Amino acid sequence: MMDRSRFLALAEAYGADLRRWPDGERAAAQAYQAAEPEAARTVLAQADVLDDLLFASRPPQPSVALRDRVIAAAARSPRRASWRARLGLAMGAGWAAAACAGVVAGVVMTSHLTANAQADAILYQSTLSTVDDMEVLG
Amino acid sequence: MSGSAVMDRAFICGVAADEARRDAANWSTTGFWRERTQEARLARTADPDDDLVRRVGQGDPAAIQAMVARKLPRMLALAHRMLGDAVEAEDVAQEAMLRAWRQAPRWTPGQARFDTWLHRVGLNLCYDRLRRRREIVTDAVPDRPDTGPAPDRGLLAADTGARVEAELARLPLRQREALVLCHYQELTNIEAAALMKISVEALESLLSRGRRTLRQALADIRPGAEGA
Repeated sequence: MMDRSRFLALAEAYGADLRRWPDGERAAAQAYQAAEPEAARTVLAQADVLDDLLFASRPPQPSVALRDRVIAAAARSPRRASWRARLGLAMGAGWAAAACAGVVAGVVMTSHLTANAQADAILYQSTLSTVDDMEVLG
Repeated sequence: MSGSAVMDRAFICGVAADEARRDAANWSTTGFWRERTQEARLARTADPDDDLVRRVGQGDPAAIQAMVARKLPRMLALAHRMLGDAVEAEDVAQEAMLRAWRQAPRWTPGQARFDTWLHRVGLNLCYDRLRRRREIVTDAVPDRPDTGPAPDRGLLAADTGARVEAELARLPLRQREALVLCHYQELTNIEAAALMKISVEALESLLSRGRRTLRQALADIRPGAEGA
C-alpha cells in the first residue's frame, strides 16, 4: 500500500483531485485514502486550497476575428483527396498510361513502315542508272 | 538578473540547441529508446481526434469548425499562460492552428496523439517568442508591478485570477510549463513529461516546486473570501 510520504508527494505535485494523479498510482492512493481517511483528508485539503486559487485564473476565449482568420486559413490549406478522388485519380492515371503506350506503339510502327518504304525506294533506284541515292533519301 | 531568469535563459538557449541536435541525439541508443518508449506509450492510448483530423485533411468544413472549437481555445490558453501576453498568445494560437491545417492531410494515426503534437507545436512557438524577448532584453530584469493586494481593499474574483496569473508568470519557465501542461491543459504526466523531454520524476519535482512557490506567494489570499 502507498505510504503517507508518497501520498503527500503526489498531492503536492498533482493537487487534490485524484483523477489528475498518475493512472498507475491512483488505485494505491485510493486504498491509502480508505485506510487512513483522516490523514488523507488533511493532505488533500491543503492541496485543494491551491487548486481553487489556480482555477481562479480564467484563460481568454478566442475572439470571433481570430476564429474567422483560422477558419479562412483552413480553406487555403492543402487537402488529402478522398478515396473517391484517389480512385478517380488512379483511373485517370491508367487512361493516361494507356494513351502513352498507344503513342509509343504508333511511333514505333510508323518508323518501321517508313524504313520499309525507304528500303523499297533504294532497291528501285538501284535499277536506275541516272538517279543519285541522295536525291531519294535526302 | 534573477536566478530564475538566468535559468529560463539557459533553458531557452538549450531548447534551440536541442532542436538542432535532435536528429543526432536520436541515434544515441539511450535517448532513442527512451523517446521510442514514450512515443509507444502515447500511441497506445486511442486518439479521440483521429476521425476529426482525417476529415479536416479532406477539407470537411464541419470538421474544420469542430477542430477550431476543440483546439483553438486550448492553444490560446497554453500560449497565454506561457507568454502572459494576449496579443502574442493570439499569434501563437493562430500559427499553431495553421500548422494543424497543413499537417492534417499528412497525419498518420497511431504515431502520437494529435493533441500532444499540437501542444509540441504551440510550445515551440512559445519558446521562439520567449527567446526573442531574451535577445531584446538581455540583462535588464523587466519591471514588474507590485501585484500584491492593496491593504485597504479585498480581492475580487477577477483580481484573484490576475494575481494568480502574475505569480504564475514569475515562476521559472520549466516549473510554469509543467504546471500549465498538467494543471491547466490537463495532459497526463506521461504526455507532459514526453513534451518536456524529461522523466516523470523530474516532472513531479517541477510541479511540486512550482506549487510550493505559488502557495507561499498567494498565502495572503483566502479562497472563498473573494469579493467579501
